[in-house]
Amino acid sequence: MEAGEEPLLLAELKPGRPHQFDWKSSCETWSVAFSPDGSWFAWSQGHCIVKLIPWPLEEQFIPKGFEAKSRSSKNDTKGRGSPKEKTLDCGQIVWGLAFSPWPSPPSRKLWARHHPQVPDISCLILATGLNDGQIKIWEVQTGLLLLNLSGHQDVVRDLSFTPSGSLILVSASRDKTLRIWDLNKHGKQIQVLSGHLQWVYCCSISPDCSMLCSAAGEKSVFLWSMRSYTLIRKLEGHQSSVVSCDFSPDSALLVTASYDTNVIMWDPYTGERLRFLHHTQLDPPMDDSDVHISSLRSVCFSPEGLYLATVADDRLLRIWALELKTPIAFAPMTNGLCCTFFPHGGVIATGTRDGHVQFWTAPRVLSSLKHLCRKALRSFLTTYQVLALPIPKKMKEFLTYRTF
Amino acid sequence: MSVKSIPLDGHEFIIKRRHALTSGTIKAMLSGPDRFAESEINEVNFRDIPSHVLSKVRMYFTYEVHYTNSSMKIPGFPTAPEIVGGWLMAANFLDCYTR
Repeated sequence: MEAGEEPLLLAELKPGRPHQFDWKSSCETWSVAFSPDGSWFAWSQGHCIVKLIPWPLEEQFIPKGFEAKSRSSKNDTKGRGSPKEKTLDCGQIVWGLAFSPWPSPPSRKLWARHHPQVPDISCLILATGLNDGQIKIWEVQTGLLLLNLSGHQDVVRDLSFTPSGSLILVSASRDKTLRIWDLNKHGKQIQVLSGHLQWVYCCSISPDCSMLCSAAGEKSVFLWSMRSYTLIRKLEGHQSSVVSCDFSPDSALLVTASYDTNVIMWDPYTGERLRFLHHTQLDPPMDDSDVHISSLRSVCFSPEGLYLATVADDRLLRIWALELKTPIAFAPMTNGLCCTFFPHGGVIATGTRDGHVQFWTAPRVLSSLKHLCRKALRSFLTTYQVLALPIPKKMKEFLTYRTF
Repeated sequence: MSVKSIPLDGHEFIIKRRHALTSGTIKAMLSGPDRFAESEINEVNFRDIPSHVLSKVRMYFTYEVHYTNSSMKIPGFPTAPEIVGGWLMAANFLDCYTR
């Protein structure tokens, strides 16, 4: 990507006025998510509502001048049962969202046989983490409530499904625990992970499904094994609550974001800190106030693993290239809370305190052949396995992301 | 203009010169004082790289040139985990960095 390619706002979605004014409901968009296949977007738009929107967006949302993707295929599928947006009324504030593929029930296969002209719509479920500790599981295509998982005693702040589609769900809660649920067994709770001393803000399962990261108010980041559900190590380094975490697509890197204005990049296999990405204000304040206004809210990796997007309280969306120490691009964004990349690249979605979501252009990336090889190798090699290979030292440094 | 690449097992490839120049190493090899000045096809020997690896490298050159300086959406470049080690060695040798 050329330096100075600022993210451009592609579209902004605002919630309509709630039909029933309820001053107790909050209006924040705590989470946004794309389905792994990129066909749906979920938006917790506040007032207890989650909107499920088919992706790419309907043309009416895209301002003139931007290329509307798949314009012709949208016309073809109109009137033929193309997926329409769904509204999920969760009954309480929605904090966490996570998609998973869902195996087709027999009824769906029968339906598909009688409607052969409709393209095969992949089956998906969405998990929603609620204010009182419940987790509701919804079928995306129909908007039907499938399951209600109970166990947490307080807000379910974040959710993560195993990327392999094995239907194991991890939830992170203000009750200081994480819980493991098996959706193959009707949502049976199979483990409680204790150890955190304060609210657990986030959880993330590595793409190779071997590790779970959780981060909490007491400044620590925990790494758990997804095989034995035991603690592997604690990562120390943040000076304040850690509120967001994400693994790189090849599971070789972990990034965590904190109210201490830093994002730390870690090697999850060795626990080493590789990078501190410090968020400084563009215009420093005149006095000593506003010390924490660059508090981080969210961090996420781009799909090819070379960029990060961060949302901070200083009203900026920042794009970082992994190998550099300062951001490569900024976009103004007020009251940002969350961000996520579209799984096939090109778009970043962000959510705000007033329930809005924005879609931004993401850097256009042409990975080097070296990086493509590194990503492929690190998808199945741990850091220690790389260090044991009979290859030159410089190549080991490259493969373990010590150099870029 | 083309570059003929001769890998380990002798199975020759013809690569467009413009594509081959993606590689900093090849660029250096072709612009050195002892380059073949007049011929249409320049030959480069890669004695340590097998042909199946070089074939993939050639595909990468095409991909890189095609999508650089264009506004098209960039698709993923397919990789196969089993033989990716060989590509990494080749890529490292050929210095295949993008801008």
